[in-house]
Amino acid sequence: MPATSPTRFLDPLVLAQISRLDLVARTVVDGFVAGLHRSPDFGFSQEFAEYRAYVPGDDLRHVDWNVFARTERTYLKRYRGETNTELTVLLDASASMGFARGGGVSKFEYAKYLAAALVYLAHLQRDAAGLIVFHDVVARFMPPSSRQGQFMRLLHGIDTATLGRRTAFERPFLALQNVLRRRGLIVVVSDFFEDPGRIIQTLQPLRFHGTDLILFHLLDPEELAPTLGEPALFVDMETEEALEVSPDFARNEYRARITGHLRDLRTKAQASGIDYFFLRTDRPLDEGLREYLAVRQRRK
Amino acid sequence: MGLLAPWFLAGLAGAALPVFLHLLRQYRATPRPFSSLLFFDRRPQASVKHRRLKYYALLAARLTLLVLLVLAFAQPFFNQAVPVSSGKRLLVIAIDRSFSMRAHGHFAQARAAAERTLDSASPALPVTVLAVDSLVETLAAPQIGKEAARAAIASIAPVDRASSFGEFARSLRVLAQNTGMQLDVHFFSDLQATSLPPSFVDIDPGPQSSLTLHSVAESREPNWTVESVTAPARVYKEHARVVSVVKGWQTEAAARKVSLFLDGRLAASQQATIPASGRVPVEFPGIEIPYGAHRGEVRIEPHDDLPEDDTFPFSIERADPATVLFLSSGRTRDAFYYQSALEAAGAGFNVQASTVQASTWTQASGTDFSRFAFVAVADDGSLNPALETQLSAYVRRGGSLFVLAGAGTLLHSRVAVSGMAAHPSDRSITGASAETQHPAVAGLSLDGVQFYRWLKLTLSPGARVLARLSDGSPLVVEEPQGEGLILTFASSFDNLANDFPIHSAFVPFVAQTAHYLAHSEEGASSLVAGLPVELRKAKDSGAAADVIGPAGDHLLSFSEATTASVFSPPREGFYEVRRADGRRVLVAVHADRRESDLTPIPDETLSLWRDMGQSRGPVAAGAGAAANRETRPYSLWRIVLILVLAAAFAESVLANSYWSGKRQEGSSS
Repeated sequence: MPATSPTRFLDPLVLAQISRLDLVARTVVDGFVAGLHRSPDFGFSQEFAEYRAYVPGDDLRHVDWNVFARTERTYLKRYRGETNTELTVLLDASASMGFARGGGVSKFEYAKYLAAALVYLAHLQRDAAGLIVFHDVVARFMPPSSRQGQFMRLLHGIDTATLGRRTAFERPFLALQNVLRRRGLIVVVSDFFEDPGRIIQTLQPLRFHGTDLILFHLLDPEELAPTLGEPALFVDMETEEALEVSPDFARNEYRARITGHLRDLRTKAQASGIDYFFLRTDRPLDEGLREYLAVRQRRK
Repeated sequence: MGLLAPWFLAGLAGAALPVFLHLLRQYRATPRPFSSLLFFDRRPQASVKHRRLKYYALLAARLTLLVLLVLAFAQPFFNQAVPVSSGKRLLVIAIDRSFSMRAHGHFAQARAAAERTLDSASPALPVTVLAVDSLVETLAAPQIGKEAARAAIASIAPVDRASSFGEFARSLRVLAQNTGMQLDVHFFSDLQATSLPPSFVDIDPGPQSSLTLHSVAESREPNWTVESVTAPARVYKEHARVVSVVKGWQTEAAARKVSLFLDGRLAASQQATIPASGRVPVEFPGIEIPYGAHRGEVRIEPHDDLPEDDTFPFSIERADPATVLFLSSGRTRDAFYYQSALEAAGAGFNVQASTVQASTWTQASGTDFSRFAFVAVADDGSLNPALETQLSAYVRRGGSLFVLAGAGTLLHSRVAVSGMAAHPSDRSITGASAETQHPAVAGLSLDGVQFYRWLKLTLSPGARVLARLSDGSPLVVEEPQGEGLILTFASSFDNLANDFPIHSAFVPFVAQTAHYLAHSEEGASSLVAGLPVELRKAKDSGAAADVIGPAGDHLLSFSEATTASVFSPPREGFYEVRRADGRRVLVAVHADRRESDLTPIPDETLSLWRDMGQSRGPVAAGAGAAANRETRPYSLWRIVLILVLAAAFAESVLANSYWSGKRQEGSSS
């Protein structure tokens, strides 16, 4: 990736150095959108709404220079979203999400960046956005809304989310079914350390409800291929169960199993009409945003 | 089984290190948090088991290496019963060749008896021949065959040294240790009681020696001798007094003619009556001594069966009074007091004839200092460098210098010629103490002497303090330089800086130091054979010394002449010694008069000595094989060291195998 590319700001390690989550979201999305200008195939478009007189502090990129050429006055072009979509982000806060390889960004932090970016993107589109933070219980529930201040409330909710214990999909999705009143877009950000059949079985009722589902499956590279020089004692971050693991097992059998798990989850999700997208925490965030926009585009 | 250095076992604590590295670290594996164990099975992992097996083998190799290393340092041994000797016997023929063996034909008898013993010995038996006096000389190395031994016996001749049975026993112990053989010792001697050491243990010949004593002396052998001669080594007057002591051992009362010969000419003769087994002094007053060195002898007549000790040689020399050169800048106070003291000392000391010649610095330039007994310098500030260099050269060639540290020393903050650093001290001090043994200051009492101005000397290497002020500061310092010496007095003799010149101790101090510096006290009139005569003081001096023996031959080799510091005259007679500093002395040497007492060792003592040698020996004791064996520690450290190397090799192989496996795992992961 060239150093001048706007998507350089989507590198998780760079984002981790920004303390404020709203800045993270703006950085990600602005950089991402700027990159889209050179990629017209993605069709990110906004409908013209009105002209407004320029006031100091406005972004000069939005100045309509044709109008300026004719009238010698500066006006800004303003747009608005084509549709109003209701986005609900389900953020997994189980203990396993806290895993990070040495020096890397944890899955939970990555998930926070992704959730914030999605919420910001929805805010730009004037979509109603909501948030559910869950582990074995629903830790935080913020219903989708497009009211003034919702964006900052969501960012605050994401920012202050903390890790819980174990993962249990049934309870948060049951709660979501009860409060879901209209069709919308539900984004689930999780590591999905669960049986794929059970996951799909839990999510499928939402799909029947007409809701579009996107599963962002986050995994750390170390989880895909653990590097072991000698036998090690692995401790489950959720159950605290300990198990001695040999390098030989980690090198062969574990990799086959995790690959099978990913394949199985993807297959079952696609079979159920659920969008599934796999993300490594060492990869830039723009891949996740592309997936979101592609799904949103499809809903037009 | 035991350990020679058990304290090294503390090093076994180091074995805890590999145990820690292998076991504790292995089972105290740091838990590694992982997001989920969903894809892991709880089942034994074959690779882990295999790795542990390797670990244990490596651990065992390392522990073995450490334990063996500690054991090697602790030096394990086990007691091994070994034969007392290798089973071989060595015939040792030892013949006493001391001075007393000349009496009554003892030496010839001893040699004949030794030859008979040699003839009767088995031809297959190795033989060695020892000549015994105060030293033990191996004349024939241990070998089979009698010819060399017979020749060695024939070559032995009596010497003028005393015998030492303690030295003989020590040499037997060393011989047994070196050869590892059973010694069958035959000792031919007159077995004088005076040759026994003070401690009976010192004549133990050791467990591997069987001692057979062959006495060639009768139980009662009377002998008269001139026991001692007291005569001055140097006189300055025409006449001298000589006193001799005549002694008889196991003798009846008898009259003997005692004569004094000077250079072979009869100088005086007296008749002396010697009591039974007693002694009598014989005085020769007023013996006329011509100028020069003379060979004197006191002789008793008629001779007995040991005529060699009927004569006692001594040397005596008549010389002119030596001259002392006193150097000062012309001020006469120091020279006045010094000269007066030496003249006054003439009444009470033998070195009366020393005179003082006052000389100014200018007059002293170009003076041949070697013609003076010594040079005294009152350093009052005008000593020029050229003269100082001349004096330094004089000292290095063997001259003596007496330095009074005065104003010049104060001016230059150093003692002239010597170079010792000196700093002024105006603190008045009363009293000083002198060394009691040094001939220059012995017996002097400096109590009550007031020192108003004196110099605090910083001693140079090799300097020796002969007298100290009451605060411990050096007052008189002796400093050897080259062949000569410098004596420094930390004040002056002008009766201003101190009141020493008018103190009663001043005259004896000046006289004694003058004697010492002039070497006029040196040397007795006669020395015991074997005692050393000094040839040079400085070992690095290249000047040659020379010794001409009684037969007129030069006794020093070229190497000895240039390097030897002492010479030990081997036999009686007169030796002309030219020292490295150029001084010539005539040394008279006499045999040790203990040898004149021919009283043999009592039978019971002889029996004890004989039994001491035979009771532990296999030949005489006839003990069984068990008695011929002794327990000796056999060290195992060499074996342990080989095992250490083997353990180190095993450790290297195992560690290499382990690490190569680990590298493969790392690369494949």
